[in-house]
Amino acid sequence: MAIFDKKSKEALADPLMKNNPISLQVLGICSALAVTVQLNTAVVMTLAVVSVLSVSNTVISILRSMIPGKVRIIVQLSIIASLVILTDQILQAYMYDISKQLSVFVSLIITNCIVMGRAEAFAMQNTPGKSFLDGLGNGLGYGGILISVAFFRELLGSGSVYGYQVVPDSFYAAGYQNMGLMVLSPGAFIILGLIVWAHRIASGVEEE
Amino acid sequence: MHSNTYTIVFMSIITILLGSFLSVANGTLKDIQDLNIENDSKKNILLSLGYYQDPADPWTSDDIKKIFDNNIDSYLLDINGNRINRDPQSVESNINEKSFPIYVDHEDGIVKGYAIPISGKGLWSTLYGFFAIEPDGLTAKGITFYAHKETPGLGGEVDKKWFQDNFSGKRFINDNGDLVGIKVIKGKADPMSMYEVDGISGATVTSKGLEKFLVNDLKKYETFFKNIREG
Amino acid sequence: MEHYISILTKAIFIENILLAYFLGMCSFLAISKKVETSIGLGFAVIFVLTITAPANWVIHNFLLKKGALFWLNPDYGLDGSNTINLSFLNSIIFIAVIAAMVQLVEMTLDRFAPTLYISLGIFLPLIAVNCAILGGSMFLVEREYTFMESTVYGFGSGIGFFLAITSMAAIRHRIRYSNVPMQLRGVGITMLLTGLVSMAFMAFSGIDL
Repeated sequence: MAIFDKKSKEALADPLMKNNPISLQVLGICSALAVTVQLNTAVVMTLAVVSVLSVSNTVISILRSMIPGKVRIIVQLSIIASLVILTDQILQAYMYDISKQLSVFVSLIITNCIVMGRAEAFAMQNTPGKSFLDGLGNGLGYGGILISVAFFRELLGSGSVYGYQVVPDSFYAAGYQNMGLMVLSPGAFIILGLIVWAHRIASGVEEE
Repeated sequence: MHSNTYTIVFMSIITILLGSFLSVANGTLKDIQDLNIENDSKKNILLSLGYYQDPADPWTSDDIKKIFDNNIDSYLLDINGNRINRDPQSVESNINEKSFPIYVDHEDGIVKGYAIPISGKGLWSTLYGFFAIEPDGLTAKGITFYAHKETPGLGGEVDKKWFQDNFSGKRFINDNGDLVGIKVIKGKADPMSMYEVDGISGATVTSKGLEKFLVNDLKKYETFFKNIREG
Repeated sequence: MEHYISILTKAIFIENILLAYFLGMCSFLAISKKVETSIGLGFAVIFVLTITAPANWVIHNFLLKKGALFWLNPDYGLDGSNTINLSFLNSIIFIAVIAAMVQLVEMTLDRFAPTLYISLGIFLPLIAVNCAILGGSMFLVEREYTFMESTVYGFGSGIGFFLAITSMAAIRHRIRYSNVPMQLRGVGITMLLTGLVSMAFMAFSGIDL
């Protein structure tokens, strides 16, 4: 079956390590910083991006020979925007509290360079099956970094993991204080920088 | 490649398809979304009035509806404290210059408290919440915030129980009958004072903003509460 | 007047759209290697933001928000019997407006300032998908700004972006000869540097205008 041939496996697996959208392709940074204050928002954001990315890649791939050259970007943008709006609507209906915290950043998935980037670079030249896997892979690669950043920011900044208090009260009594900086923007940048460093060491790819 | 006519036809079809798709989605989900917003407001009104929600067993949509319908009367007041004969269309009404929503908590015909919506500028965003008042018309019963984008850990502490609990029992009317509001003090408030609460360290702008918009919103209802105080 | 200065200052320093809200990072990372291109991109962003903020304000307030269509038929308004709320179409319409504006800017530059047009190259069309531009419009909706406030906000955000991107370019230019570890080069070190600059900008948050 086509799903298990080499190119498909690469499409799915590469973005997780070798060609990670955030650390290596350098895409999708905006939202990676904003929604990683806590783990629950990062997880929901990952799910949103994975869904939008895989579906948009598939749809664009199916339509790739029909899309007129001159309006290529606009058509891609419209399809992506519609999927994002749908995701936002579903979140507002079924996960209201989280959607309040994510606010405009779900809508900003439209301008998330990963989605447009993969549509242009992959979906326009490959079959729907492989495009779906590419979307899935990139979404998960993005999610991996997002969740790592959120894990550290929440742990150091609020003493909890996914909302559950992890730092024991005895630490607080002894004088330990949450690192407030982690919750603010500088903390986000710094943790992301360190995680990208770690990821590049782990995956062995170098900057030219 | 593709001709101009093809491009135009393609774009039209795509526009119609996507437009319909989104409209259908919005139409289907709209009621649930509106219910969410309404429940959020109602929940906060109930919390400010002192109703207890067990964190291990939070209220469902039906719970909120039941408690609210059984105990809360919502109506609109004008600037003179008179009841306007129009039901607030939805609980998230915006206060305009002419009509002010108020929520009356009662049990067996006896008033247990009043809740009014409050809103104003913090540091980063506009804060929205409810302020609850004892039946005497001069003591605070509780305060909650349901929407803001203040910094988590700093201005965002307005969400937290420790900050909100400080308001219960404080007065906003002094012994002369003047509306003084409740002062949010930088650092620790005077424990003897009936009119002050502790501020949030590192969040002076949010604290001061809150103090200002609280008294401004109370001014809108002052005629009504003055009547209550005078019996 | 003071109110507008306050919005302007907030947008440039205190709520810098890049350093505080993280919007515009992608082009920021790609462009900030050279100071000249950063300046060019910065100006382009100022221009596009200042135009699209009020344009999108008009569209939001007279077409899309709850009750915006009152001028068509009073029934569609806020107090009417059949209030129409099209705000779910916000993002897609805004993006279309932004793309159209960018196209217009491109054509104008090509006609009246061809050298600038060529030096900006591919970055001009890329502004259309810059999170900062869409973000600017989404924020003005959320904060319910007036028309003048939106324009001032757009202009201020553009300047803030310009400031952030050019200072980063200057810093990155200086560290070219530093001994940055292999895997930290590029994204990694830029993130750490941006974190420090962002911390510096936080010093402005005590200003109360």
